[in-house]
Amino acid sequence: MVRRRPLTPSSSFPPKAPCFHNPPSAFRTPNESPHNLGYMMQRVTNHHTHKTTDVHRHGLRSRQLHLLPDGRNFQVEYAVKAVENGGTSIGIRCKDGVVLAVEKVVGSKLLKHSANKRIATVDRHLGVVYSGMVPDGRHFVDRARDEARAWRDTNKTPIPTADLASRMGGYMQAYTLYQSVRPFGITAIVGGFDSELELPVDGEVGYGPSVGAGGKAPDKKHGGPFLYMIEPSGLYWGYYGAATGKGRQAAKAELEKLDLGGAGALTLEQAVKEAARIIYLAHDDNKDKEFELEMSWISASDGPTKGKHQEVPKALREEAERLAKKSMESDDEDDDKKDDDKMEE
Amino acid sequence: MPGFDFSNYNRNAALHARGVPLPKATSTGTTIVGCIFDGGVVIAADTRATSGPIVADKNCEKLHYISPNIWCAGAGTAADTEFTTALISSQLELHSLSTGRKPRVVTCMTLLKQHLFRYQGHIGAYLVVAGVDPTGTHLFTVHAHGSTDKLPYVTMGSGSLAAMSVFETQWKPKMTQDEAVELCSQAIQSGIFNDLGSGSNVDVAVITGEKTVLKRGYVRPNERSQKLKSYIFPKGTTAVLNEKIIRKEDLGNYVSVHELSTTEEGGDKMEVDT
Amino acid sequence: MEFGNSGSLSEDGIHVDMDRLKKGEVNLGTSIMAVTFKDGVILGADSRTTTGAYIANRVTDKLTPVHDTIWCCRSGSAADTQAVADIVQYQLSLFAMTSGKPPTTQTAAAIFQEICYANKDRLSAGLIIAGWDERHGGQVYSIPLGGSLHKQSYAIGGSGSTYIYGFCDANWKEGMEEQDAVNFVKEALKEAIKWDGSSGGVIRMVVLTAKGADRHLYLPDTDYSVRHDA
Repeated sequence: MVRRRPLTPSSSFPPKAPCFHNPPSAFRTPNESPHNLGYMMQRVTNHHTHKTTDVHRHGLRSRQLHLLPDGRNFQVEYAVKAVENGGTSIGIRCKDGVVLAVEKVVGSKLLKHSANKRIATVDRHLGVVYSGMVPDGRHFVDRARDEARAWRDTNKTPIPTADLASRMGGYMQAYTLYQSVRPFGITAIVGGFDSELELPVDGEVGYGPSVGAGGKAPDKKHGGPFLYMIEPSGLYWGYYGAATGKGRQAAKAELEKLDLGGAGALTLEQAVKEAARIIYLAHDDNKDKEFELEMSWISASDGPTKGKHQEVPKALREEAERLAKKSMESDDEDDDKKDDDKMEE
Repeated sequence: MPGFDFSNYNRNAALHARGVPLPKATSTGTTIVGCIFDGGVVIAADTRATSGPIVADKNCEKLHYISPNIWCAGAGTAADTEFTTALISSQLELHSLSTGRKPRVVTCMTLLKQHLFRYQGHIGAYLVVAGVDPTGTHLFTVHAHGSTDKLPYVTMGSGSLAAMSVFETQWKPKMTQDEAVELCSQAIQSGIFNDLGSGSNVDVAVITGEKTVLKRGYVRPNERSQKLKSYIFPKGTTAVLNEKIIRKEDLGNYVSVHELSTTEEGGDKMEVDT
Repeated sequence: MEFGNSGSLSEDGIHVDMDRLKKGEVNLGTSIMAVTFKDGVILGADSRTTTGAYIANRVTDKLTPVHDTIWCCRSGSAADTQAVADIVQYQLSLFAMTSGKPPTTQTAAAIFQEICYANKDRLSAGLIIAGWDERHGGQVYSIPLGGSLHKQSYAIGGSGSTYIYGFCDANWKEGMEEQDAVNFVKEALKEAIKWDGSSGGVIRMVVLTAKGADRHLYLPDTDYSVRHDA
């Protein structure tokens, strides 16, 4: 089931894009193609005409979205374009936690500093950051909270990060199927720390036996940090480092240089500093606009956040920003030197 | 709303608490049994239906058809066993048609127990479910509240204790078909002779992988025998003390007679579509 | 069905019958238990099912699987506990299919509790949930009549359990070997069967470990000394 979501007025996006909603193609004659795609598209439209009228007669409002002959879906591709214009978001999964960071582009000097948060907490151990259309992201977060709540209701235990990613991937995919809705204009990064401890079931009375249970599989580790990125198509993968938004190319290049999965993987605090540096570096191509850095982190239960998703403390964030700016300056110096060399030649 | 109406339940309970006796539901005091043998299953039942102390039917049928390979023996409220088995039979046939598979005994048992559990014992159907399906031979009991048991031999109804005593003393594993039929018949007869609620004849159904055979009146231990004497009284047995003849014409002297017209005047005539 | 004449007429004129079991309902007057041991958990039960004074089934299986290595011991109304176990079995198989991993004993216990608590005024079900999973090993949860959930190292339940509280308290040890745990369960149930009129018949057990479920059956003919094929 698709929960209908109010459609935001799409302003100028997508620019000059053919509109699939207007007029509703149920009222269109078979020969009126909604866009200029040539005879191939026309044939597809014709082919499905009898179905269209049939569904319309039955009074169903949402109808299947036609796939293009080459297997693409324009609506999804426009959504990706919206994401590509959004402020850069990244996520880093290191050995003892997850860091989320976003380049929050300041649209107006009248906006209150450090208000209007862009990273959201979905459950105690889960955080989400996204690039693209902010209202879509807000709705995504609402739904993610519902899913986490529903999971707790039925299973009496926190939702594993992988399961939340799966549910939300399925949710976003559903918005690519029907003409009455449009895909989400965001790419979301979901970070979480599945508890490594044996948590009691919600609603359990008392503390239970003091002795441990027998027959556990030895040397098996459970839980840990996880990071997922979900695209407008509904596609999602697990990552060590994820980046999306305008500066994703630069950010990805930097993330690839880090040791995240290996033996000498980054610590959480190092990852926070790297995240700040990467956001500053990714912003470099977008210099004319002001931005704010927003960061959150999740550690194990014996780490600084005690298994919870929290905003990075001000002191650490400012230290990370100082280091990030310093590194930018040194990069600039390097560039200048090269330039100087060139001048001399 | 179709279905059951429980609006009188609370009223009856309140009246009962004030000392008003409750109406008794009509139920069949019954003996029903089932027994698995090598290659199939037998179920059997007596044929007495009772309404309080009255024998309402001397030769009723308590073996109910579910599907060609699944049959049910019913005890408890007669109407409930009849309609519950008919309902589940219908559902199972539709399920069988839509899946293209033969109905299974567990499916039948599950449908029955879920239906009966929903009505919390108000549907007074106590059933023995037996059948052969592609997964093998099965025998279950289903109680009115929705609990089920799976056993090699079972008894239910008011005569179940008498019948069980026969099984507990004579049952042995891996019986032949004839042995199983005979044992079930003996168990039912034990109910017929020792339980007031059971009586008349023994019905038996034998279900194997190939076919089902319903043996109606397999044993008739209560046939009415020839009366030893004739109770017809010869004409003239009663003495005639006096005689008086009244003719038809003189009938008016004793009673008043009015002729009634067959059509009422001024009444609306029935009209066919004009 | 017939009506019980216990209870009283309350002021609003509605007769409230506080009898837990409806008349003629099939009852599991029972002895059930589950214990954790070194490699997992063992469930045990007698096999008597009664309707009033009549034994409706003398070889009942009160140990019901709800997943491969998560089982439950049922006591109370047979109809109620079967219905609840069937629902949980369905929920857990659905969980296993959709999430691609086996459910934990915790999840099973949580689903049981949800049903037992939400319907507490309609159910008479005393359940012990025991299971083995890779993460938590063997675990035992008890859900008594009101629908509360208790994690325990071992649990006993049913009418027969009252006779063996002392025995279990004195003899249960942490981290028993499998054979010792089987003997502990067997001896406890033997006492419960001996003293409780509503318990009897055979002793059934299930051993849940990393190797899966292993069924035991002991008959009264040999004073429960020989293990038979279940």
